[in-house]
Amino acid sequence: MKPRPLRQLRALVLKDLRLELRTRDTVIAMILFAVLAMVLFQFGFGTRQSDLTKFAGGLLWVTLAFTAVLGVGRSYVAEREQRVLDGLLVAPVPRMVLLVAKAIAIVGYLIAVEILVVPLLGVFFINGPFWSDIGWLFLSCLIADVGIGILGALIASLALFTRARELLLPVLFLPLLVPLVIAAAGATNAVAGSAHDLVQYRNYCLFLVGYAVLFGLVAYATFEAVFDD
Amino acid sequence: MTDLAVRLRGKGSALWALVAAVLSVVAICGVFLVAPEDADQGIIQKIFYFHVPIANTSLVAFGVACVAGILALRTRSPRWDEVLTASIGIGLLFAGLTIVSGSIWARASWGHWWRWDDTRLTTYLIIILIYAAFFVLRSSVEADRRARFSAIYAVIAFASVPLSFYAVRIATSFIHPVVFNSHGANLPDSMLVWFIVSQAAMLAVFIAFLLLELTQRRTESSLRRLRLALDA
Amino acid sequence: MSHGTQYVVAAYAVIWFVLMLYVAVVGLRTSRISRELELLARLVERRKADEQAAQAEGQASSSPATRP
Repeated sequence: MKPRPLRQLRALVLKDLRLELRTRDTVIAMILFAVLAMVLFQFGFGTRQSDLTKFAGGLLWVTLAFTAVLGVGRSYVAEREQRVLDGLLVAPVPRMVLLVAKAIAIVGYLIAVEILVVPLLGVFFINGPFWSDIGWLFLSCLIADVGIGILGALIASLALFTRARELLLPVLFLPLLVPLVIAAAGATNAVAGSAHDLVQYRNYCLFLVGYAVLFGLVAYATFEAVFDD
Repeated sequence: MTDLAVRLRGKGSALWALVAAVLSVVAICGVFLVAPEDADQGIIQKIFYFHVPIANTSLVAFGVACVAGILALRTRSPRWDEVLTASIGIGLLFAGLTIVSGSIWARASWGHWWRWDDTRLTTYLIIILIYAAFFVLRSSVEADRRARFSAIYAVIAFASVPLSFYAVRIATSFIHPVVFNSHGANLPDSMLVWFIVSQAAMLAVFIAFLLLELTQRRTESSLRRLRLALDA
Repeated sequence: MSHGTQYVVAAYAVIWFVLMLYVAVVGLRTSRISRELELLARLVERRKADEQAAQAEGQASSSPATRP
Protein backbone atom coordinates (compact mmCIF):
# COMPACT_ATOMS: atom_id res chain seq x y z
CA MET A 1 0.00 0.00 0.00
CA LYS A 2 1.58 3.20 -1.19
CA PRO A 3 -0.22 6.01 0.58
CA ARG A 4 0.18 4.57 4.05
CA PRO A 5 2.70 7.14 5.28
CA LEU A 6 0.37 9.84 4.00
CA ARG A 7 -2.54 8.40 5.96
CA GLN A 8 -0.36 8.16 9.04
CA LEU A 9 0.73 11.74 8.52
CA ARG A 10 -2.86 12.87 8.24
CA ALA A 11 -3.80 11.04 11.40
CA LEU A 12 -0.93 12.58 13.33
CA VAL A 13 -1.60 16.09 12.08
CA LEU A 14 -5.32 15.73 12.84
CA LYS A 15 -4.45 14.52 16.34
CA ASP A 16 -2.42 17.68 17.05
CA LEU A 17 -5.01 19.87 15.39
CA ARG A 18 -7.93 18.41 17.32
CA LEU A 19 -6.06 18.64 20.57
CA GLU A 20 -5.32 22.28 19.92
CA LEU A 21 -8.87 23.08 18.78
CA ARG A 22 -10.28 21.53 21.93
CA THR A 23 -7.99 23.20 24.43
CA ARG A 24 -6.76 26.24 22.50
CA ASP A 25 -4.05 26.86 25.12
CA THR A 26 -1.11 27.19 22.81
CA VAL A 27 -2.36 29.40 20.02
CA ILE A 28 -4.11 31.86 22.29
CA ALA A 29 -1.06 32.15 24.50
CA MET A 30 1.15 32.63 21.47
CA ILE A 31 -1.06 35.37 20.05
CA LEU A 32 -1.16 37.17 23.37
CA PHE A 33 2.57 36.86 23.67
CA ALA A 34 3.15 38.25 20.19
CA VAL A 35 0.86 41.23 20.76
CA LEU A 36 2.52 41.88 24.11
CA ALA A 37 5.95 41.77 22.47
CA MET A 38 4.83 44.37 19.94
CA VAL A 39 3.47 46.61 22.68
CA LEU A 40 6.75 46.28 24.52
CA PHE A 41 8.61 47.22 21.36
CA GLN A 42 6.51 50.33 21.06
CA PHE A 43 7.34 51.39 24.60
CA GLY A 44 10.96 50.33 24.24
CA PHE A 45 11.70 52.17 21.01
CA GLY A 46 8.63 54.11 19.92
CA THR A 47 8.83 56.73 22.63
CA ARG A 48 11.98 58.19 21.08
CA GLN A 49 11.13 57.48 17.48
CA SER A 50 7.61 58.25 16.40
CA ASP A 51 7.79 56.35 13.11
CA LEU A 52 8.81 52.70 13.38
CA THR A 53 8.12 51.85 9.72
CA LYS A 54 11.82 51.35 9.03
CA PHE A 55 12.00 48.79 11.83
CA ALA A 56 8.90 46.84 10.78
CA GLY A 57 10.81 43.79 9.59
CA GLY A 58 12.90 43.49 12.70
CA LEU A 59 9.90 44.11 14.91
CA LEU A 60 7.81 41.47 13.24
CA TRP A 61 10.52 38.83 13.12
CA VAL A 62 11.94 39.27 16.58
CA THR A 63 8.37 38.93 17.83
CA LEU A 64 7.71 35.89 15.67
CA ALA A 65 11.03 34.25 16.57
CA PHE A 66 10.26 34.40 20.28
CA THR A 67 6.67 33.34 19.64
CA ALA A 68 7.96 30.41 17.62
CA VAL A 69 10.09 29.33 20.59
CA LEU A 70 6.91 29.23 22.66
CA GLY A 71 5.06 27.20 20.04
CA VAL A 72 7.91 24.79 19.47
CA GLY A 73 8.26 24.29 23.21
CA ARG A 74 4.58 23.44 23.48
CA SER A 75 4.49 21.20 20.42
CA TYR A 76 5.50 18.05 22.26
CA VAL A 77 3.49 18.69 25.40
CA ALA A 78 0.88 16.00 24.79
CA GLU A 79 3.55 13.50 23.83
CA ARG A 80 5.37 14.20 27.05
CA GLU A 81 2.66 14.69 29.60
CA GLN A 82 0.12 12.14 28.39
CA ARG A 83 2.83 9.64 27.43
CA VAL A 84 1.63 9.66 23.83
CA LEU A 85 5.21 9.29 22.69
CA ASP A 86 5.58 5.79 24.07
CA GLY A 87 2.63 4.70 21.98
CA LEU A 88 3.81 6.51 18.87
CA LEU A 89 7.25 5.00 19.07
CA VAL A 90 5.87 1.50 19.40
CA ALA A 91 3.52 2.04 16.45
CA PRO A 92 4.93 1.15 13.02
CA VAL A 93 5.15 4.76 11.90
CA PRO A 94 8.25 5.90 10.01
CA ARG A 95 10.15 8.42 12.12
CA MET A 96 10.12 10.91 9.27
CA VAL A 97 6.33 10.99 9.43
CA LEU A 98 6.54 12.02 13.08
CA LEU A 99 8.90 14.85 12.17
CA VAL A 100 6.80 16.09 9.27
CA ALA A 101 3.64 15.95 11.38
CA LYS A 102 5.27 18.05 14.09
CA ALA A 103 6.64 20.51 11.54
CA ILE A 104 3.14 20.90 10.08
CA ALA A 105 1.71 21.48 13.56
CA ILE A 106 4.29 24.19 14.26
CA VAL A 107 3.63 25.84 10.89
CA GLY A 108 -0.06 25.75 11.77
CA TYR A 109 0.51 27.54 15.07
CA LEU A 110 2.63 30.17 13.35
CA ILE A 111 0.10 30.80 10.58
CA ALA A 112 -2.61 31.25 13.19
CA VAL A 113 -0.46 33.84 14.93
CA GLU A 114 0.57 35.61 11.73
CA ILE A 115 -2.99 35.99 10.48
CA LEU A 116 -3.51 38.34 13.39
CA VAL A 117 -0.05 39.79 13.92
CA VAL A 118 0.81 40.80 10.37
CA PRO A 119 -2.24 43.06 9.89
CA LEU A 120 -1.64 44.37 13.39
CA LEU A 121 1.88 45.32 12.35
CA GLY A 122 0.40 47.40 9.56
CA VAL A 123 -2.07 49.08 11.90
CA PHE A 124 0.37 49.76 14.71
CA PHE A 125 3.65 50.59 13.10
CA ILE A 126 3.55 51.24 9.40
CA ASN A 127 3.10 54.67 7.90
CA GLY A 128 2.31 54.54 4.23
CA PRO A 129 0.93 51.91 1.92
CA PHE A 130 0.72 48.52 3.55
CA TRP A 131 -2.38 46.63 2.53
CA SER A 132 -1.45 46.47 -1.13
CA ASP A 133 1.66 44.48 -0.29
CA ILE A 134 0.18 42.29 2.41
CA GLY A 135 0.11 39.30 0.07
CA TRP A 136 3.87 39.50 -0.35
CA LEU A 137 4.25 39.74 3.41
CA PHE A 138 2.19 36.63 3.99
CA LEU A 139 4.11 34.76 1.30
CA SER A 140 7.46 35.46 2.94
CA CYS A 141 5.99 34.51 6.32
CA LEU A 142 4.82 31.22 4.90
CA ILE A 143 8.21 30.37 3.43
CA ALA A 144 9.94 31.28 6.68
CA ASP A 145 7.41 29.23 8.66
CA VAL A 146 8.39 26.10 6.78
CA GLY A 147 12.01 26.58 7.84
CA ILE A 148 11.00 27.29 11.42
CA GLY A 149 8.73 24.26 11.43
CA ILE A 150 11.37 21.82 10.21
CA LEU A 151 14.13 23.12 12.46
CA GLY A 152 11.73 23.51 15.36
CA ALA A 153 10.45 19.95 15.13
CA LEU A 154 14.03 18.64 15.04
CA ILE A 155 15.29 20.76 17.95
CA ALA A 156 12.15 20.14 20.02
CA SER A 157 12.60 16.42 19.69
CA LEU A 158 16.18 16.79 20.94
CA ALA A 159 15.10 19.01 23.81
CA LEU A 160 12.33 16.55 24.66
CA PHE A 161 14.82 14.23 26.34
CA THR A 162 16.83 16.79 28.25
CA ARG A 163 16.70 18.21 31.72
CA ALA A 164 15.62 21.85 31.92
CA ARG A 165 14.13 21.68 28.44
CA GLU A 166 12.28 24.99 28.73
CA LEU A 167 15.63 26.65 29.30
CA LEU A 168 17.52 24.65 26.74
CA LEU A 169 15.11 25.08 23.85
CA PRO A 170 15.61 28.84 23.27
CA VAL A 171 19.35 28.49 23.77
CA LEU A 172 19.52 25.80 21.09
CA PHE A 173 16.87 27.20 18.78
CA LEU A 174 17.43 30.96 18.61
CA PRO A 175 21.09 30.95 17.44
CA LEU A 176 20.13 28.64 14.58
CA LEU A 177 17.24 30.96 13.80
CA VAL A 178 19.46 34.04 13.39
CA PRO A 179 20.00 33.64 9.61
CA LEU A 180 16.28 33.12 9.12
CA VAL A 181 15.42 36.23 11.14
CA ILE A 182 17.94 38.27 9.12
CA ALA A 183 16.46 37.16 5.82
CA ALA A 184 12.81 37.27 6.85
CA ALA A 185 13.19 40.74 8.34
CA GLY A 186 14.91 41.80 5.15
CA ALA A 187 12.08 40.44 3.06
CA THR A 188 9.51 42.23 5.22
CA ASN A 189 11.41 45.51 5.04
CA ALA A 190 11.64 45.18 1.28
CA VAL A 191 7.86 45.34 0.86
CA ALA A 192 6.63 47.13 4.01
CA GLY A 193 5.55 50.76 3.94
CA SER A 194 6.56 52.80 0.94
CA ALA A 195 9.37 50.37 0.07
CA HIS A 196 8.55 48.08 -2.81
CA ASP A 197 11.77 46.39 -3.83
CA LEU A 198 10.77 43.08 -5.33
CA VAL A 199 14.29 42.13 -6.45
CA GLN A 200 15.57 42.34 -2.90
CA TYR A 201 12.44 40.61 -1.68
CA ARG A 202 12.99 37.74 -4.10
CA ASN A 203 16.62 37.29 -3.01
CA TYR A 204 15.64 37.12 0.62
CA CYS A 205 12.85 34.66 -0.13
CA LEU A 206 15.22 32.45 -2.09
CA PHE A 207 17.47 32.44 0.95
CA LEU A 208 14.52 31.40 3.10
CA VAL A 209 13.74 28.57 0.68
CA GLY A 210 17.38 27.48 0.84
CA TYR A 211 17.24 27.56 4.63
CA ALA A 212 14.19 25.30 4.70
CA VAL A 213 15.67 22.92 2.14
CA LEU A 214 19.03 22.67 3.92
CA PHE A 215 17.53 21.97 7.31
CA GLY A 216 15.06 19.62 5.67
CA LEU A 217 17.98 17.59 4.36
CA VAL A 218 19.74 17.68 7.73
CA ALA A 219 16.54 16.59 9.46
CA TYR A 220 16.06 13.82 6.93
CA ALA A 221 19.60 12.58 7.55
CA THR A 222 19.63 12.77 11.34
CA PHE A 223 16.07 12.41 12.57
CA GLU A 224 16.15 8.63 12.46
CA ALA A 225 18.78 8.73 15.23
CA VAL A 226 16.79 10.93 17.63
CA PHE A 227 14.33 8.25 18.72
CA ASP A 228 16.68 5.36 18.15
CA ASP A 229 16.89 3.66 21.52
CA MET B 1 41.93 -1.19 20.55
CA THR B 2 44.86 -2.82 18.85
CA ASP B 3 48.25 -2.94 20.49
CA LEU B 4 49.73 -0.77 17.77
CA ALA B 5 47.21 1.97 18.45
CA VAL B 6 48.06 1.77 22.12
CA ARG B 7 51.75 2.02 21.40
CA LEU B 8 51.26 5.03 19.12
CA ARG B 9 48.93 6.77 21.53
CA GLY B 10 49.97 10.31 22.29
CA LYS B 11 52.93 10.34 19.91
CA GLY B 12 51.03 12.27 17.24
CA SER B 13 50.33 15.25 19.43
CA ALA B 14 54.03 15.65 20.21
CA LEU B 15 54.94 15.51 16.54
CA TRP B 16 52.25 17.99 15.52
CA ALA B 17 53.12 20.30 18.40
CA LEU B 18 56.67 20.40 17.08
CA VAL B 19 55.42 21.15 13.56
CA ALA B 20 53.15 23.87 14.95
CA ALA B 21 55.98 25.43 16.94
CA VAL B 22 58.33 25.54 13.97
CA LEU B 23 55.68 26.88 11.60
CA SER B 24 54.59 29.53 14.10
CA VAL B 25 58.13 30.82 14.54
CA VAL B 26 58.64 30.88 10.77
CA ALA B 27 55.28 32.63 10.28
CA ILE B 28 55.88 35.31 12.91
CA CYS B 29 59.38 36.02 11.64
CA GLY B 30 58.11 36.16 8.07
CA VAL B 31 55.15 38.38 8.89
CA PHE B 32 57.15 40.95 10.84
CA LEU B 33 60.58 40.81 9.21
CA VAL B 34 60.03 39.85 5.59
CA ALA B 35 56.49 40.70 4.47
CA PRO B 36 56.10 44.27 3.19
CA GLU B 37 54.07 46.76 5.17
CA ASP B 38 50.58 47.37 3.84
CA ALA B 39 50.23 50.66 1.99
CA ASP B 40 46.85 51.69 3.50
CA GLN B 41 46.81 50.18 6.93
CA GLY B 42 50.47 50.13 7.89
CA ILE B 43 51.48 47.87 10.69
CA ILE B 44 47.86 47.24 11.80
CA GLN B 45 47.46 44.94 8.83
CA LYS B 46 49.83 42.46 10.53
CA ILE B 47 46.90 41.36 12.70
CA PHE B 48 45.32 39.96 9.56
CA TYR B 49 48.01 37.28 9.22
CA PHE B 50 46.80 35.50 12.32
CA HIS B 51 43.22 36.75 12.67
CA VAL B 52 42.03 35.18 9.41
CA PRO B 53 43.91 31.86 9.70
CA ILE B 54 42.52 31.45 13.22
CA ALA B 55 39.03 32.14 11.90
CA ASN B 56 39.46 29.57 9.13
CA THR B 57 40.89 27.04 11.54
CA SER B 58 37.84 27.28 13.78
CA LEU B 59 35.67 26.49 10.76
CA VAL B 60 37.89 23.50 10.00
CA ALA B 61 37.41 22.36 13.60
CA PHE B 62 33.63 22.59 13.28
CA GLY B 63 33.82 20.76 9.96
CA VAL B 64 35.84 17.99 11.58
CA ALA B 65 33.18 17.84 14.30
CA CYS B 66 30.44 17.53 11.67
CA VAL B 67 32.22 14.70 9.88
CA ALA B 68 32.88 13.00 13.21
CA GLY B 69 29.20 13.46 14.00
CA ILE B 70 28.15 11.72 10.79
CA LEU B 71 30.59 8.89 11.51
CA ALA B 72 29.35 8.69 15.10
CA LEU B 73 25.78 8.28 13.87
CA ARG B 74 26.87 5.65 11.36
CA THR B 75 29.14 3.57 13.57
CA ARG B 76 27.90 4.41 17.09
CA SER B 77 31.51 4.25 18.20
CA PRO B 78 32.29 6.33 21.29
CA ARG B 79 35.59 7.38 19.74
CA TRP B 80 33.87 9.71 17.29
CA ASP B 81 31.97 11.26 20.14
CA GLU B 82 35.30 12.10 21.77
CA VAL B 83 36.59 13.55 18.51
CA LEU B 84 33.60 15.77 17.90
CA THR B 85 33.41 17.08 21.45
CA ALA B 86 37.12 17.85 21.56
CA SER B 87 36.97 19.44 18.12
CA ILE B 88 34.04 21.69 19.00
CA GLY B 89 35.78 22.76 22.21
CA ILE B 90 38.92 23.75 20.35
CA GLY B 91 36.89 25.32 17.57
CA LEU B 92 35.15 27.52 20.15
CA LEU B 93 38.53 28.54 21.52
CA PHE B 94 39.64 29.60 18.04
CA ALA B 95 36.35 31.35 17.32
CA GLY B 96 36.76 33.29 20.56
CA LEU B 97 40.27 34.27 19.51
CA THR B 98 38.88 35.38 16.15
CA ILE B 99 36.45 37.71 17.88
CA VAL B 100 39.08 39.12 20.24
CA SER B 101 41.72 39.70 17.59
CA GLY B 102 39.13 41.04 15.17
CA SER B 103 37.85 43.39 17.81
CA ILE B 104 41.35 44.72 18.47
CA TRP B 105 41.78 45.20 14.75
CA ALA B 106 38.48 47.05 14.51
CA ARG B 107 39.59 49.32 17.34
CA ALA B 108 42.92 49.97 15.65
CA SER B 109 41.55 50.79 12.23
CA TRP B 110 38.13 52.33 12.97
CA GLY B 111 38.39 53.39 16.59
CA HIS B 112 35.54 51.15 17.74
CA TRP B 113 35.82 47.79 19.44
CA TRP B 114 32.80 46.46 17.61
CA ARG B 115 31.21 47.13 14.23
CA TRP B 116 28.17 45.24 13.11
CA ASP B 117 29.15 45.79 9.50
CA ASP B 118 32.35 43.81 10.00
CA THR B 119 30.96 40.58 8.61
CA ARG B 120 33.62 38.35 10.13
CA LEU B 121 33.05 39.61 13.68
CA THR B 122 29.28 39.36 13.34
CA THR B 123 29.30 35.90 11.80
CA TYR B 124 31.67 34.48 14.37
CA LEU B 125 29.55 35.88 17.17
CA ILE B 126 26.57 33.92 15.81
CA ILE B 127 28.74 30.82 15.37
CA ILE B 128 29.97 31.06 18.96
CA LEU B 129 26.38 31.27 20.19
CA ILE B 130 25.44 28.21 18.12
CA TYR B 131 28.34 26.11 19.33
CA ALA B 132 28.21 27.26 22.94
CA ALA B 133 24.72 25.75 23.03
CA PHE B 134 26.35 22.41 22.17
CA PHE B 135 27.86 22.17 25.62
CA VAL B 136 24.62 23.22 27.28
CA LEU B 137 22.85 20.44 25.37
CA ARG B 138 25.55 17.93 26.23
CA SER B 139 25.42 18.65 29.92
CA SER B 140 21.65 18.29 30.13
CA VAL B 141 21.23 14.99 28.27
CA GLU B 142 21.51 11.71 30.13
CA ALA B 143 24.53 9.57 29.39
CA ASP B 144 22.77 7.02 27.18
CA ARG B 145 21.62 9.65 24.70
CA ARG B 146 24.54 12.07 25.03
CA ALA B 147 26.70 10.77 22.19
CA ARG B 148 23.79 10.50 19.76
CA PHE B 149 22.37 13.95 20.46
CA SER B 150 25.81 15.54 20.39
CA ALA B 151 26.43 14.05 16.96
CA ILE B 152 23.06 15.25 15.65
CA TYR B 153 23.65 18.74 16.98
CA ALA B 154 27.17 18.86 15.51
CA VAL B 155 25.64 18.20 12.09
CA ILE B 156 22.78 20.71 12.51
CA ALA B 157 25.13 23.39 13.77
CA PHE B 158 27.56 22.97 10.90
CA ALA B 159 24.71 23.20 8.40
CA SER B 160 23.85 26.59 9.83
CA VAL B 161 27.39 27.94 9.47
CA PRO B 162 27.17 28.72 5.73
CA LEU B 163 23.65 30.08 6.28
CA SER B 164 24.94 32.46 8.93
CA PHE B 165 27.82 33.55 6.69
CA TYR B 166 25.54 34.25 3.77
CA ALA B 167 22.76 35.90 5.79
CA VAL B 168 25.18 38.29 7.49
CA ARG B 169 26.72 39.16 4.16
CA ILE B 170 23.46 39.91 2.37
CA ALA B 171 22.25 41.91 5.37
CA THR B 172 25.34 44.12 5.51
CA SER B 173 25.62 44.46 1.75
CA PHE B 174 22.18 46.05 1.67
CA ILE B 175 23.13 48.52 4.38
CA HIS B 176 26.39 49.40 2.64
CA PRO B 177 26.01 48.94 -1.09
CA VAL B 178 29.79 49.22 -1.54
CA VAL B 179 31.13 46.05 0.04
CA PHE B 180 33.39 47.15 2.81
CA ASN B 181 36.52 45.11 2.44
CA SER B 182 39.57 46.11 4.39
CA HIS B 183 40.60 42.53 4.85
CA GLY B 184 42.74 42.43 1.78
CA ALA B 185 40.96 40.22 -0.71
CA ASN B 186 43.72 40.68 -3.26
CA LEU B 187 46.96 40.02 -1.50
CA PRO B 188 50.22 40.46 -3.36
CA ASP B 189 52.30 37.30 -3.45
CA SER B 190 54.85 38.64 -0.96
CA MET B 191 52.06 38.79 1.65
CA LEU B 192 50.16 35.72 0.51
CA VAL B 193 53.13 33.43 1.21
CA TRP B 194 53.23 34.42 4.86
CA PHE B 195 49.49 34.21 5.13
CA ILE B 196 49.63 30.62 3.94
CA VAL B 197 52.47 29.80 6.34
CA SER B 198 50.56 31.14 9.32
CA GLN B 199 47.42 29.31 8.13
CA ALA B 200 49.45 26.10 8.11
CA ALA B 201 50.82 26.95 11.55
CA MET B 202 47.33 27.44 12.99
CA LEU B 203 46.11 24.20 11.43
CA ALA B 204 49.07 22.40 13.00
CA VAL B 205 48.20 23.98 16.35
CA PHE B 206 44.65 22.73 15.96
CA ILE B 207 45.75 19.19 15.10
CA ALA B 208 48.22 19.14 17.99
CA PHE B 209 45.54 20.36 20.41
CA LEU B 210 43.01 17.88 19.10
CA LEU B 211 45.38 14.94 19.45
CA LEU B 212 46.45 16.12 22.90
CA GLU B 213 42.85 16.39 23.99
CA LEU B 214 42.03 12.97 22.58
CA THR B 215 45.03 11.37 24.28
CA GLN B 216 43.93 12.91 27.51
CA ARG B 217 40.34 11.75 27.17
CA ARG B 218 41.47 8.24 26.37
CA THR B 219 43.85 8.26 29.33
CA GLU B 220 40.99 9.37 31.52
CA SER B 221 38.76 6.59 30.28
CA SER B 222 41.54 4.02 30.77
CA LEU B 223 41.94 5.32 34.28
CA ARG B 224 38.23 5.00 34.86
CA ARG B 225 38.33 1.41 33.63
CA LEU B 226 41.25 0.67 35.90
CA ARG B 227 39.44 2.13 38.88
CA LEU B 228 36.36 0.08 38.02
CA ALA B 229 38.43 -3.10 37.70
CA LEU B 230 40.02 -2.51 41.08
CA ASP B 231 36.64 -1.36 42.41
CA ALA B 232 38.24 1.38 44.40
CA MET C 1 56.75 53.20 16.81
CA SER C 2 54.38 53.62 13.91
CA HIS C 3 50.67 54.16 14.41
CA GLY C 4 48.85 51.20 15.91
CA THR C 5 51.82 49.12 17.01
CA GLN C 6 50.29 48.71 20.46
CA TYR C 7 47.22 47.08 18.90
CA VAL C 8 49.29 44.62 16.91
CA VAL C 9 51.26 43.71 20.03
CA ALA C 10 48.02 43.36 21.99
CA ALA C 11 46.42 41.11 19.37
CA TYR C 12 49.42 38.80 19.18
CA ALA C 13 49.79 38.77 22.96
CA VAL C 14 46.14 37.79 23.45
CA ILE C 15 46.36 35.03 20.83
CA TRP C 16 49.43 33.41 22.31
CA PHE C 17 48.27 33.99 25.87
CA VAL C 18 45.03 32.12 25.22
CA LEU C 19 46.76 29.29 23.38
CA MET C 20 49.19 28.87 26.28
CA LEU C 21 46.27 29.06 28.69
CA TYR C 22 44.80 26.06 26.92
CA VAL C 23 48.06 24.21 27.39
CA ALA C 24 47.94 25.14 31.08
CA VAL C 25 44.43 23.71 31.37
CA VAL C 26 45.57 20.49 29.71
CA GLY C 27 48.53 20.43 32.13
CA LEU C 28 46.22 20.80 35.10
CA ARG C 29 44.08 17.93 33.91
CA THR C 30 47.18 15.82 33.34
CA SER C 31 48.32 16.48 36.88
CA ARG C 32 44.94 15.33 38.16
CA ILE C 33 45.22 12.13 36.14
CA SER C 34 48.73 11.61 37.48
CA ARG C 35 47.50 12.07 41.05
CA GLU C 36 44.74 9.54 40.57
CA LEU C 37 47.14 7.11 38.96
CA GLU C 38 49.47 7.45 41.94
CA LEU C 39 46.59 6.68 44.30
CA LEU C 40 45.65 3.62 42.27
CA ALA C 41 49.25 2.42 42.22
CA ARG C 42 49.44 2.75 46.00
CA LEU C 43 46.16 0.91 46.33
CA VAL C 44 47.44 -1.97 44.21
CA GLU C 45 50.67 -2.10 46.21
CA ARG C 46 48.83 -2.11 49.52
CA ARG C 47 46.51 -4.87 48.37
CA LYS C 48 49.44 -6.94 47.24
CA ALA C 49 51.17 -6.41 50.56
CA ASP C 50 47.99 -7.38 52.42
CA GLU C 51 47.65 -10.51 50.33
CA GLN C 52 51.23 -11.52 50.99
CA ALA C 53 50.84 -10.87 54.68
CA ALA C 54 47.66 -12.99 54.71
CA GLN C 55 49.40 -15.78 52.88
CA ALA C 56 52.36 -15.71 55.25
CA GLU C 57 50.00 -15.71 58.20
CA GLY C 58 48.02 -18.59 56.71
CA GLN C 59 51.17 -20.62 56.24
CA ALA C 60 52.31 -19.79 59.78
CA SER C 61 48.95 -20.81 61.32
CA SER C 62 48.39 -23.88 59.19
CA SER C 63 51.87 -25.31 59.45
CA PRO C 64 51.60 -26.52 63.08
CA ALA C 65 48.31 -28.28 62.33
CA THR C 66 49.69 -30.19 59.37
CA ARG C 67 52.64 -31.32 61.35
CA PRO C 68 52.09 -34.77 62.73
